[in-house]
Amino acid sequence: MKELKHENIVRLYDVIHTENKLTLVFEFMDNDLKKYMDSRTVGNTPRGLELNLVKYFQWQLLQGLAFCHENKILHRDLKPQNLLINKKGQLKLGDFGLARAFGIPVNTFSSEVVTLWYRAPDVLMGSRTYSTSIDIWSCGCILAEMITGKPLFPGTNDEEQLKLIFDIMGTPTESLWLAVTKLPKYNPNVQQRTPRDLRQVLQPHTKEPLDGNLMDFLHGLLQLNPDMRLSAKQALHHPWFAEYYQHTS
Amino acid sequence: MERPVRDQSEDTQEDQSIPKIILPSEFKKCSRTDLVVLISRMLVLLIAINENSSTKKPDDQITLTRYHSKIPPNISIFNYFIRLTKFSSLEHCVLITSLYYIDLLQTAYPDFTLNSLTAHRFLLTATTVAAKGLCDSFSTNAHYAKVGGVRCHELNILENDFLKRVNYRIIPRDHNITLCSVEQKQKKFVIDKNALGSVDLSCYSYANRLKSGYNVLDKYYQRIVQLVGSFNASPDKSKRIDYVLPSNFNEDNESGTRLQQPKASPESHYSQKRISEAEDASKYNKRSKPD
Repeated sequence: MKELKHENIVRLYDVIHTENKLTLVFEFMDNDLKKYMDSRTVGNTPRGLELNLVKYFQWQLLQGLAFCHENKILHRDLKPQNLLINKKGQLKLGDFGLARAFGIPVNTFSSEVVTLWYRAPDVLMGSRTYSTSIDIWSCGCILAEMITGKPLFPGTNDEEQLKLIFDIMGTPTESLWLAVTKLPKYNPNVQQRTPRDLRQVLQPHTKEPLDGNLMDFLHGLLQLNPDMRLSAKQALHHPWFAEYYQHTS
Repeated sequence: MERPVRDQSEDTQEDQSIPKIILPSEFKKCSRTDLVVLISRMLVLLIAINENSSTKKPDDQITLTRYHSKIPPNISIFNYFIRLTKFSSLEHCVLITSLYYIDLLQTAYPDFTLNSLTAHRFLLTATTVAAKGLCDSFSTNAHYAKVGGVRCHELNILENDFLKRVNYRIIPRDHNITLCSVEQKQKKFVIDKNALGSVDLSCYSYANRLKSGYNVLDKYYQRIVQLVGSFNASPDKSKRIDYVLPSNFNEDNESGTRLQQPKASPESHYSQKRISEAEDASKYNKRSKPD
């Protein structure tokens, strides 16, 4: 963690380790994305963020994540609560409590990772061979949540979580995701669903029109098949971010 | 799954009574017992080097560390290591990482030397730290301490001591040992990259990072087999087995170039030194054998 020096990753300054206490000293951040979104709720109606801001946050999220993945670190717990923001509008990845290095062959990859609402379908079905794509699914959930102001798949248990995902994204078929039937918790008896149009799901919750680029980008992150998801690096080159990378390169 | 082939054929003419095992090229497919045999041989070899009268520090220069016991424990390294592996379900990468931690700890803490007084506590601490640092499922310190035969309180202190000495750099990857020693010299928790000066961190470029960084354990695996795979070359005689890597086994290009140009990687310099010492010693062992 201490090697992860990037402007979009919260810095670890020191560790104070006594016999019965462990204190980690981190860079100070004003707020987190969850609290920030909550603060914008009007009455009981959650409100999404302006799309300009959504894009800026998502860009920074993926910059930080691309850096982690380049350094062979999986975050494994991306969610709005763990994305810290400051008054300058900077966003940084925090809480590396579930993170792990993924270059070392280990038998015991836990499938009990990532907060349920942001957990990828392959992990929900018991996959233990997941990799960077697990974090990308979380990024997709976070993007949708920033647009609408409410979580995309707020399940209460593993089963309901999968149902909510399939209700919107459709049930996975072997033609699109070859290995799906071999996953430990794959249930062949689940009711077949066809994918719904994501734009129709999200558009009612935001005033700004959701354009084709944005929807294509979101689909790239929320692929059921982990091998089909964009990588963090690819995501940063998506046309939706054109205004950013044209600037920097 | 690849299984080691037990090859009893004619090519063991030199010494027909030693069975030969051809190991898988990846250490994760190796049997853990074989790994423990090999690592124990390496540890015993290192202890023999460190306790060799010509290189050994005079008694008055020895600093006692937390790893020292009063007298050598009466369980062999091999039996102790087997015990830890079995009752604490240690994974392959944990076993090899404990060998890597010798180089790491000695660099960060020159007072520490592996010898017959320190090896047991070191192994217990190293496997505990590696299991907790690398694996998703691991046991409690109370369990590890019980298996290892020390009080939990002592293991807690050992673990804490180890982590502080190596500045929490417990992930075995390229340049980790170099970075650890730079941090220590500068007395900093995290070093400022600009202050690195002459230290060559060329692997930090993106292209190199794609593949490299995590070959460290593979390199250790290869080198142990090369050094102490042969039963006759090993001072530890717990198992009469010769280990060899498969004949089609080629070191990947990257570590190959590394070996020829140690300059390219400051870290390989350390292991190089260690391994070359060990190489001399294993020749010495062979020569000094009465038969």
